[in-house]
Parts: sequence; structure tokens; C-alpha cells
Amino acid sequence: MAEHRDVFIICNSINELGGLTQWVHDISRLFTARGHRVRLIGVEPATDYRDFGSDLPYPTFTLHPEQLPRRRKVTGTAALNPGRALQARKRQQIFEGGVARLNEILRTASGPGAVVIASQVWAGEWVAAADTKGMQVIGMSHESFEACKNSSRYNRVLKFYADMDIHLSLTDADADAWARAGMSNVGAMPNPLMTVPKTLPTLDEKTVVTLRRLSHDKGIDMLLEAWAVVGPQHPDWQLKIFGAGPDEQALRTQARALGLDDQDLFQGKTSDIDGALSSASIYALPSREEGFPIAVMEAMAYGLPTVAFDCAPGIRELIHDEVSGGLVVTAGNVPGFAAGLERLINDRELRGRLGSAGRESVQRFTPDSIVDRWESLFALLDR
Amino acid sequence: MTSSQPRPPDVTVVVIVYNDAGRVATAVQSVLDQSLRSHEIIVVDDHSTDGTPAVVERLAAEHPDVVKFIRLPANSGHCGAPRNAGVAVARGRFIMFLDSDDVLDPHACRNMVAMAEQSEADMVIGRCVRRDVATGKETSWMPWLVQSKVVYESLRDQPELLYDVLSTNKLYRHDFLTRENLVFLEDRLYEDNLFSAHAYLAAKKIAVIPQRIYTWNIERKAANQSITRRAADIRNITDRIIVTRKIDDLLEAHDAGDLRLQKDIRFIENDLRVHLSRLSILPEENQRALVDAARPYLQTLQEEAFRQAKPLPAMAAYLVREGDYHGVAAVHDYMAPRPIQPHLTVDLVVRDGRVYWGDRHLDDPLGREVLDVTEMGFQDGPLSKLRIGARIDSVHRDGDLVTLTGSFTNPVGRITVEAAPKAQLVFEERRSKRRVFKTKAQLAVDEQRVGWSVTFTPEKLLRPIGLIDPTYSLRLHISVGGEGADLALFADEDVTETLRLPTRPKLSRLTSDLLQGYQTDSGNVALRQEADGSAAKVGSAAIAGVRNTSFGSRAWQRAADLQRSLRQRRNNRATKLAWYENVFLKMPVKKGTVVFESHMGKQFSDSPRAIYEEMRRQGIKFTPIWAYAEHPTGFPTDAKLVRRNSWGYLQALGQAEFWIDNQGFPHDLRKRPETTYIQTWHGSAFKRMGFDEATIKAQTETQQRKWQSAIDRFDYFLVRSEHDVRTLTKGMRVGAELLRSGYPRNDALVNGGNDSELAKLRKKLGITDGRRVVLYAPTFRPEEIKRRSGLELPFDLDEFVQRFGEDTILLVRPHYLVSFALPPAYGHSVRNVANVHDVTPLMQISDALITDYSSLMFDYSLLDRPMIFHVPDYDNYVGSSRGSYFDLGSTAPGPLTRTSEELIAAIADLDGNATAFAGKRREFVAEFGEYDTGQAAKAVVDRFFRTGDRRG
Repeated sequence: MAEHRDVFIICNSINELGGLTQWVHDISRLFTARGHRVRLIGVEPATDYRDFGSDLPYPTFTLHPEQLPRRRKVTGTAALNPGRALQARKRQQIFEGGVARLNEILRTASGPGAVVIASQVWAGEWVAAADTKGMQVIGMSHESFEACKNSSRYNRVLKFYADMDIHLSLTDADADAWARAGMSNVGAMPNPLMTVPKTLPTLDEKTVVTLRRLSHDKGIDMLLEAWAVVGPQHPDWQLKIFGAGPDEQALRTQARALGLDDQDLFQGKTSDIDGALSSASIYALPSREEGFPIAVMEAMAYGLPTVAFDCAPGIRELIHDEVSGGLVVTAGNVPGFAAGLERLINDRELRGRLGSAGRESVQRFTPDSIVDRWESLFALLDR
Repeated sequence: MTSSQPRPPDVTVVVIVYNDAGRVATAVQSVLDQSLRSHEIIVVDDHSTDGTPAVVERLAAEHPDVVKFIRLPANSGHCGAPRNAGVAVARGRFIMFLDSDDVLDPHACRNMVAMAEQSEADMVIGRCVRRDVATGKETSWMPWLVQSKVVYESLRDQPELLYDVLSTNKLYRHDFLTRENLVFLEDRLYEDNLFSAHAYLAAKKIAVIPQRIYTWNIERKAANQSITRRAADIRNITDRIIVTRKIDDLLEAHDAGDLRLQKDIRFIENDLRVHLSRLSILPEENQRALVDAARPYLQTLQEEAFRQAKPLPAMAAYLVREGDYHGVAAVHDYMAPRPIQPHLTVDLVVRDGRVYWGDRHLDDPLGREVLDVTEMGFQDGPLSKLRIGARIDSVHRDGDLVTLTGSFTNPVGRITVEAAPKAQLVFEERRSKRRVFKTKAQLAVDEQRVGWSVTFTPEKLLRPIGLIDPTYSLRLHISVGGEGADLALFADEDVTETLRLPTRPKLSRLTSDLLQGYQTDSGNVALRQEADGSAAKVGSAAIAGVRNTSFGSRAWQRAADLQRSLRQRRNNRATKLAWYENVFLKMPVKKGTVVFESHMGKQFSDSPRAIYEEMRRQGIKFTPIWAYAEHPTGFPTDAKLVRRNSWGYLQALGQAEFWIDNQGFPHDLRKRPETTYIQTWHGSAFKRMGFDEATIKAQTETQQRKWQSAIDRFDYFLVRSEHDVRTLTKGMRVGAELLRSGYPRNDALVNGGNDSELAKLRKKLGITDGRRVVLYAPTFRPEEIKRRSGLELPFDLDEFVQRFGEDTILLVRPHYLVSFALPPAYGHSVRNVANVHDVTPLMQISDALITDYSSLMFDYSLLDRPMIFHVPDYDNYVGSSRGSYFDLGSTAPGPLTRTSEELIAAIADLDGNATAFAGKRREFVAEFGEYDTGQAAKAVVDRFFRTGDRRG
């Protein structure tokens, strides 16, 4: 049933540091491998640049050569400032230029059945304004319904995704929440598991690991509090936090205040994910907000048991608490998180059981099965 | 699209229509617009006599491959025959049904087909949304059945599906309909019910999706009411019962007798209720006929169905079974849905310590069970919540004087002569509620009913403006022993007609000269201005003439719309906040104004009250403003009262010099720097608080920032120990100056209180003998807040009464968020003290305390009296998810009991407790109450309000 299509994938920037951009390149590569003609389109240049290579098997575009002026919330009398109206009009002109550029790219579609995928809500504004007649338009929200609800993106999803052919969430539970909120064009599409472990951990290393951006939503502060309870009981174990981010200084200060050695804890950024995961025995996911966390999928692929807060349906979609993949703790329950870490530290057998069950269960998300799901979705939208 | 159709379409949508030329095209268009293009539409016309055939023929001509038209040779009168005719010629692999006045969601077919294919279910159910055509208001139909995507292997996995009997919000596999020979009944109403029940029973798998599928348009007062809406008609109820009997046979045939109970409950809660609603407005012979039509079937229902159905419908059904049509009408009056004004008319009785819905049928054991309404709290709930309705029995005119007389029920005899009840007849403009006229009413109290009468001169009392205030509502306001209630008024049609009150509008009698009684859509009596005399007739005819011109009517409509939208806009939160920010906060601060609030306005109590009373005692000059949440009853009469979140409240807060509160003024209200906020707080912490609590810890940065900025408004924060400093203020990240003064509310516990006030309270609670008093005051569990039964005592009250009733009185004090109803049987030795505002005097008059995790334990320990900690759910409550700041077991100054027996034993040994735990109590006070020395209110007042050295 391999019908080759034009697939246009639009994201905020094509070389922004972060999980979403990684996903965009992964999925582009997978679609290309199936024979689809992928064009990857970024709205503007990256803020935190990451090089995704130059020999990409699909063409890439950026609609705006410079970053767009940011919209700010204006209150009170500032709204009457004529300069503001001028700025808004200018921004609108720039936006329309970007939409025109997008239309040019979309016109290069060579046959019927073309697909346009807005992978982020902001980028979705360009897609909603573009001429997509005769094409399938797909909007995606790469976060849980709850996380979106708590952000400014919520109203924009309701506005810009309502008229798209389908709005994809990461899990059925999130799609159901959108349906309850009144959107009927909803469905679910999980992320593919791209990791193939080189070395598997022995689960005997006395290390708890996490790889994440150091920002509020990733919840490192709660992990530190939990570790302040667990760590001193198990001086032979260590916690390693890989990553950087805006809260690094605050977190180091917090760690010292809790009596922890921040030099040992914070390992900085690493590109050696394989090394970090294969030399640990427990993975910690203390996030406040998640979608369908690639970090957990990777840990599962390595057979590492995870302790995670129940912060999004994606967590339970991946981890079956106490059965496969690890332990799930009520969101924000720090003593519970500490207790979870402690259980895994004390029980080698439990680590092994949850880890290997997780490794098996995460195979549901192999690239082949995910691309099959995408292709049957395209077929459904054609009917 | 392909020209010829080699393969069948995915879905056939059968649209049925009868005399609906105006709307059928919209219904068909909603199918043509489906995102799933592989569909066909079969429109079946039940032999319409209007322009319907022409409309549909045109649609068929425009879309020849998609739209088919069938016209039945004769009208069948029901939905069954047309749907069967449609299915007979359908080609689709799946079938859906649509009525001509409704529409499908644009993605309905795609979502349903995708789910059917993925799950291989025989039928798929989606969300149906009822839309009120007049207002555009939408409500989900049985939303709990369509919460999420799920596949049931059979009806047994989810018998509640039987509640959803619509055939329209579903998709059926075509070969499933063929295989099971599923067809609609053709000669009855409610063919849906039978069809759906049959489909549920026969389906191999049933799938559910939460997406909206179907919009059911409801036209309230449509002249052309759809066939199923004329509910109050004998034929309807007869058909309903015939269909229901057939469903019973089906259940039998499918060996599903075990589902019969579920179906019976549904019948009681939904079907029967619909047919008998508003029974009381029908002529008596119709009431009797309707009840008699249903009665034989109800006699066949198992008793369990009456026990398990929701209480009010179960009562109505039981009374139908007994043929008591007056009783049925009264239950329906009480449970009437919006817009009808529900009202209590029945005379409740108390038998053997329980409250019953009237005095009939109590010899029948089932009647006793079903008609027991003790849990509804008529005996001790707030009078204003009982929905008492008053009747107007007669209108008498004598010259200029008019006398209205009537009566209302006296709920469980709660209105007594001793309580000196008072009443007023209140006329209020219905739209803006701005013009109000009141006149005193006389009451004649009797144990079962209260008579009322009013004599007044309408022309003097009633001065409407004219034109802009065409209608007035009418109610009886009663106040009994510090409690108030507003009673809606009801009257028979002939009485309503004689309610003609002459009036002199301010805009002269040309506009009107009479207030005429009429029955509102809610069923109660109201008044509207009318013309009676010749001047008024000429005047109003002239005005009507202008208003009937097209310009006049448009202008009038425009003005009315504008007024309505202004009123709506004025009262929304954003408008209020904008005013608060831009106007109230910019007006000058009013020196000496102090806004007090306790527990978000629910009470006049706690430390804010203690500070207020201390200020009064010291004779300080200030302007007190108290905020109340619902009703000003019980708040001080010598202070200005504002309703929480009203305009007056916002202005008071915006311009106040001091805010004093124990929980938190609304988080979205900013405090200006010139205002001093004294946060007294309402208790030390056992449970983790604030940022130590999981729910707050898990919040996003924005949410936490909002929370923090609400806390940052505090300028001063009262603490009662270093424990508070270590736990509470740290968990809440309080940045305010800490006042180590102790809690003002606890001064009375240390110093002893006002004896005459305590004596008054004892008398009010009927504690007149020398019996020992034990206070039971637990904290809340989240599930109790929404639960109808509220607080369920975690110990055996009968056992308590039997063992200790002769020498002990138990005061039950639920958390202020939780409801509680005490059966009158326990009246001798148990009191429900939910409605006493302030808990401090309750502590003072008690000799011992039973609590659990409530912060009351910290306060009560100051009294140095025995305490028992009854914690049957200790592990669950304190368990790792909530967490506590200390271990209750080792710290508590009293025994922890986990079962009713242990508690009873502990109560039996209160004397032993007093001595055994004396040391523990001292330690407890030293740890948690070191600053509570009885001087807190004075310390606060001295610091901020003493004349002479006032700040600023």
C-alpha cells in the first residue's frame, strides 16, 4: 500500500536544540525511507542552535531569514499606544510574507494526497493561514492536554487546529481530553523509538541518572529534595544529572542548601547518551510536564527502570507501574518519589524485572510500526 | 470522486423527515460536509404535506450519487417505519441515523468508522450534545458514558449504557443489523428504546468514543413539536410502558435477567420522571389517569429498584405504585428541573426519630425505606435551602386595601412561636432587581403549616417606573431565629387572575395602571404592568403602536439587547477586575477602614472576629466592613456588610487601610502598598502545606508564581509557635513579618470566655441539664465535599447513644465545607452544630474533644481537657501521598482509636484520659502553642490600632 506522497513538515525552527526538533528530523528521515517526498520547513532561525548535519536526505527551508518580533501581552493604557499598532501591522506584514513563502513551497507538491504537518502550535499559525486546498492538514500538540491547558497554547490550539483535518495528540488519553474539551477532529500518534542501545547496563552500577534541561518544568528541584532523603542513606550510590539550562545556578544553590555536593551531581551537557544510560541502574524522571517522553522510551530501550511522576498520560502509556518500565508516583509527591528510588536501590531483582519488561514493552513503538500507523492515518484521511 | 460506484460507501446516513422543509436541508448538508467522503444519504419522507419533498428532490438532483430520496406512500406517524425503509435500501457498510431537525458533527462519520474498524465492534457510540435553539446553550447528553475511548465486550461490561437509548448518536455495522434482524417498531413511540436495548444485547462488541457526533436541537416552545416531546399525554405513557415491557421480554430472551434491575432503575429515574413532570398543574382527573396508566407496570418492578434508584425519583415511582397521585405531584414539584422553580409543599413528619415524606404509606416496610428523607437534612439544614414554596389561597379587596392570604409547610415543625418568626412580602423588579417594595406579613404558626396574610394599599406601596420595568417578582421573605429564607409563591390559575393590584407608575398612568398576576415559565406567581382604565389603555395602545412599527420594534429590541449585554458584561470577573485595578485601587485609601473576612466569608468567626471584638471593646474608632459569602445572617449588625466578590466588596478592598483575614482574599485581587494586610491564618499544620504539598509542588512555574504572589500580599502573619515558623510559614513561603502573638481566637480558650454568651449558646443548643458535653470535630476528606450524604460518622452512633446518652451530649461539628444531617432520633443526646458560626465557644462548652487530623487539636489542647484521636483511615490519610510534619501517634496528647469499639472504650475512660495524658498535653501545648498566652488580640490591636501612635 506504499503510495508515495508529498509530506510537508512545519516546525518552529529546523535546528533548534531540543526533543521536538529531534523528532522532526527522525520522522522526516523515516518518511523519506518509505519513499515519501519530505520537505522540512522551519518558521525562523533557531535560538539555541544545534547542528543536525548537512547531508540530510530531504530538503529543508526556513520561511523567515530573521526571528520574528515577539508578541507581548499588553494591558491598560499601553494598548492605546499608536506605536504598538504600527508594530503589530509590521509583524503582520512579515507574517504574510512567510505565509506566501510557505505557499510557494506547498505548490511544489507533485501529485494528489499531499500532507501538511504542523508539528508545533506556533508553526501551525502559518499552516492555518496557508493555501492547503486539496491537501491533508495535520496539527500536532507534542505535550499532554494538561500541560497545554496550562499554557497560552491552549486557546491557539482551539483556534488554529479546529479547522484542520486532524489534530494529533501523543496518547489516546490526551486525545480523549481534547474531545471532552469540544474538539472532534482528534486522534493520537505516539513518538517512534529511535534508540538502539550499543551497550546494555548491568544494573549493578550504583548510579541514578537523569538527562534533562535544567528548567522548572523538568522538576530537578523535586529530584534534589528526594535525593536529600535517599542519598545520605546510601552513600555508595550517586545521582548524576546531565544537562544544562536556565535554572542551573538556582539548582546548584538548592543542592548545597540540602547538604548535597553540587559538583558531583551536575555533570553538564553530554552527547554520549549511550555512555550515560549504560553506566546507570535507575532512571529518574521528576518532570512537572511531559508529553510522550523520549527520555523514558530511551531508558526503557536500555532496560533501565524509571521512577517518574504521573504528570501526563504519556507516562502511564509507557510505564506500567510495578509491572514494566518502572514506578509511577503521584505528581509532586516528593516523599513518594524518594521511596520509589529507595525501593529500586534496595532491590536488584526488582530493577531487573521492571527493566527487562520495559525493554520488551517499548518495542510497540519501533519506527516501522509508527510509520505504518502514519500511513494508515493518511489513508483514512483520504477516504 | 469516482463516477460510477464500484464499491459500497463506508456509511449510509438515514435521514428521516416529516413536514420539516425548513430544516431538512441543513441536516442533509451536515452529512454532505462530512470529512469522510465515502458516504451516502437516504432521506426518507414520512409522507409530508409541506414543501419537504421539493426540498429533498432538489438536494437529490444536486448530488445524484450521494443523496437518495424515498417518500412513504402514507404517513406512519412515528420514526420507526421511515428508518426501516431507509435501512432496507442502504448500501453502506455502516449505518447511522439522523433526524431532520438535528445535525452531524463534520467528523462524525470518520471518527465512528475509524473506531468501528479498529475495534471490530458491532456498534459505536459517540457524544450527543443537546443544543437549546433559543439560547444556543449546549449540554452533553449523559457525558459520563462517553468520557473516553473504550471497547466493551458486551453490555455486561457497562450496563449503564442502557441509560442512553437514543438510536441516533451511534453507528451500526450493516451486517450486524441484518444478522440480528434489528428493525424499529413501526406503530409506537419510543421505538428508539427498544431498538437500542436490542442492539446493546445483541452486539458482539460495543465501542465508545468521546468525540461529539450528534447535535440534538431542542426547541422549547416550538409550535411544531417533534413527536416525542408531547410527554404529558396518556398515549405516550401507555406506549412507553408497552415498549418497556417488550424490553423486559428481550432481556429475558437474551438470558440477561440480571440486567433487569439496571433497566428498572433507569425507567424510574428517567422515563417515568419525564412523563409525570409538572403533574401538579394538570386537572385532577388527568393526574389520576396518568398515574393509573403507569401503576400496573410499577407493581411488577422488583422492590430493589425503588431502593437503588436516586431517592426523589424512587419516591415518585413508589407513590405511583401506591396510586397516590397527590403525593407523586408533590415529589415532582420538589425535584422539578430548570426552569421550573422547585418547591416543597408536602408536610413532612417525624416517626421514631426519622423524617418522612408525609404521613402516608409508612405501614409498608418499603414505603418506610423509600420515603425516609432524613439524609436530605430538612430537620437541620439551612432554612433557605429547603425550597419551601408558599401558596396564595385568596385575594381579597376592600376599597383601597388588598389582603392576600395563604400558607406554607412548616418543615418538621422548625418554625415555632417561641422563635418569633417574621415575614415580609417582597416585590422585586424581575430584570435588574433594582426596584424593591416590601410590606410586613402576619404569620399564624401551627406545627404542620404556617398561615400568612398581608394587607396593604397597592397604590401607595407599589410605585414602578413604567415601560422599563414591565414585570415584578413576588416572594415571601421569612426570618426565624436568626435564619432567613425566601419563599417563591404559587397559586391556582383562578387565584392568579384575581391578583390585580392598582398602581401609579412614575411615568404616569398612561403607561399602565395595574399590576396583574401571571404564572411565569418557572411556575411561580409574578406581576406585570397592564392597562385597565381608559387613559392607560389609550396610552399603552399608543406606545404599543410605536413599538409595533418596524423601526420601533428594532429600536426597542436594540435597547433591550444593549441593556442585557451591559448587565452581563458588568458582572463578569474581567470587568470587575479591570475596575478594581484601574478605578478602585486609584481612589484614595479610606483611613480607618478595615475589611474583615473569615473562611472566605462563610463565617463570622475565628481570629478576625476576635480582633474585631477587641477593637470594639477598646472603643477604637474605625470603620469595620465584614465580607459574607452567601447570607448576612449571623454577621454583626454594627458593621457594614458586603457580599464576597460583589462590587461593594471590591471597592471596600481597593480602598481599605487594613485587610484582616484568616485564609486569603481572592487571589486575583492585588493589594496596594498603602493597605496593610494582617493574615491571621486559621490553624497550625499537621498535614504538609503549600509548597510542601504535592499538588502545589507539581504546578507549573506560572501557577506557582500566582500562588506566591497571593502569599506575598501578606504584610504580617500570625504564628502560635516555632512549629508554625518551621513548617507552615516555610511551606507557604511566607515573606511577611511574623507576629509571634498567638491566635486572637484562642484568647478565650486561655482566659475563659464570656459566660453569658456561653450560657446563651448552651440554651440555644438545648444543653440545659448537667450532662457532660463531648465535641466531635473531624477535618474533611475530599470525597465528602461533593457527596450527597456529606459527613458519614466513622463510628456507631447508636452504640454511643445507648452507652452514654444518659450522661453525655455529643456535638457534631462537620468541617465547614461538608454537609451533615442528623436524624431526629438522636435529638436527645446528639446535636448538629454545623450552623454555629464560631467553633471556639463550642470548644469552651465541651468537656472533651474527639477529632482526627484537624488543626482544632492544637487549639483544644490549650483547654487542658481530654482529647481522643479517632483515625480509622490513618494509613490512607497520612500515607506517603499527603505526608505530615510529625508523627501523630507519638505526639498526640490522647489515645488514637481506629475502630468504633476502641472509640467507645476511650469515651468510657475520659477520666483516666484526663490524668494519663496530662503530661502529654503540657508538652503538646509547649510545642505547638507557646505564644498562645491569651493576649493575642490585644497585642495585634495595640500594635496597629491603638489611638495616639497610629501608623501613617
